Amino acid sequence: MSAIKAGGGSEGMKPVAVVVGIILLILALGVVYYLSPGVAFMGLLGVVIGGLLIGFGVHFVPVGGAPAAMGQSPGIATGVTMLAAGAGLAGLFGGAWAAEYGLAVALAGGAIGGGLMMAITCLMVNIIYVYAMGIPAASGKVAKDPITGDTFEAYKSQGTEGHGLPFISYVGGVIGGILGGLGGTLIYLELLEVYETFLPTLLNASPDEVKALAVGLAGIFAIGMFLVNAVIAAYNITGTIEGPHDPKFKRFPRAVIGCAVASAVCGVLAIFVVLV
Amino acid sequence: MSHNKVLGIGLIGAIICMYLTYLNTLLGVQYFSFFGGIAAVFALWWGTDTIKHLCSYGLGTGVPSAGMIALGSGVIAMILATKVNTFGPLVIPVLCVVIAAILGAIIGYVANNIVNMNIPVMVVSIAELCIVGAVTVLGLTAMATGTFVFTDLIAGTATFFGIPVTNYAASYLGGGAIAVVFMLGAIAVQHAFNACLGPNESQDRTLMLAAECGFISMFCVSIMSVAFLSLSAVLVSFLVSLIGWVYTYKKYFVLSKRDAFMWLDAKPIREKEEA
Repeated sequence: MSAIKAGGGSEGMKPVAVVVGIILLILALGVVYYLSPGVAFMGLLGVVIGGLLIGFGVHFVPVGGAPAAMGQSPGIATGVTMLAAGAGLAGLFGGAWAAEYGLAVALAGGAIGGGLMMAITCLMVNIIYVYAMGIPAASGKVAKDPITGDTFEAYKSQGTEGHGLPFISYVGGVIGGILGGLGGTLIYLELLEVYETFLPTLLNASPDEVKALAVGLAGIFAIGMFLVNAVIAAYNITGTIEGPHDPKFKRFPRAVIGCAVASAVCGVLAIFVVLV
Repeated sequence: MSHNKVLGIGLIGAIICMYLTYLNTLLGVQYFSFFGGIAAVFALWWGTDTIKHLCSYGLGTGVPSAGMIALGSGVIAMILATKVNTFGPLVIPVLCVVIAAILGAIIGYVANNIVNMNIPVMVVSIAELCIVGAVTVLGLTAMATGTFVFTDLIAGTATFFGIPVTNYAASYLGGGAIAVVFMLGAIAVQHAFNACLGPNESQDRTLMLAAECGFISMFCVSIMSVAFLSLSAVLVSFLVSLIGWVYTYKKYFVLSKRDAFMWLDAKPIREKEEA
């Protein structure tokens, strides 16, 4: 019994499954368009786009897992879900603070929050790798860093898949954090708008009274959807990934479709709370 | 014990306990809130076995991811179920299970077929985990507030110049207390198998740790419920969770000693006596 070793996760796509997924996606959008073509439909569209961004963004984050903690593979030494949740929730909080300054400022706040969190994480990880564990950064998947042109071969220890956090992985981590934070914030803002529109009539209360309730509901739904999307992307990666230069990165279309379907279905249920 | 037996006991036990919390509304008291916590313990106990079942195929992402997707999808299904009031409040626990099963099956299909994991038990396991997440949050919610009806979860009361007024910000959902329950459930459902996995894993020990995690979550929720329930009801919840936790912890300790190769009772370091 092994919880670390990847068993599933074959290459390629199943056309039938993709078609079924797209039908589910269209069905979800159609139901909400039928019930409320205005705010709720735009909200669901935003939720789906947010899910897409999260699913795509997770693939950039250099995840090392348990082998990285022992200096046997490159990346940050924890699981995909934890890293994605950390970056996304940091972004979500950053964006939620700025929600009252309009969509653009709030989205920028979310993206910067997520990116900043990943930048700090990657920096501290590298400091620990280099100065505490005494291991240099060397990628196992490519011979030369695509950005700086540094060669890795001479620094790579035998019997490992590389170690440390190369520059390209650092850049990937920051891009992943930005996309994750952007997606999480977009889901939150769209749901917040839906609830702020529908809750006053539903509860016969003034918009100011239900503000806290709308924030609470949108927040918990955004966290739930973020985790669902992050885990689906994590299943697509199956374990470890080095960043955008890793061959596993090419698998991202599957996760993008999967996250779109999953967030559409979750989004429909979240919007039904005020429509049914 | 076979997985189906664990599933049956967990699901039926959780639903019966959810209905027992409704005695609160029928009798006009709050003492029966703790049954919600017991429902969550049943669900977590079952969820741990499901995670063990799923993770034996090797997900490659670690055990915590399964707990996160369980609660992440479960909380969405649970809030929707509490809101649907066309059939009266008594269908909410069953409706919660049904909505969670549908949502979980869709997410399981996405993970298994679109993302191409190709794990035979994936769809069923994610559906089960989604139900576990939904029932756990519903149970702990009922324990914290004494009810599982949406209109009661969103309405809190605040005293304004001595007059009680409805204040949505002081409610369970408006105040964000559900986020704490969410995390308590997510940690409790994944911890037991994550801690016990390995070649020496035995089912009774893992499931005992799951029950222990459930009771310690109940313990935290009973403290949270001070904000929503009367002090005597809180005291009942507090004592039930304390007794449950002490019992399961001691049992787990005994089982750990049984499974261990060797046991050395370490003594405190003694001061060297001055001659």
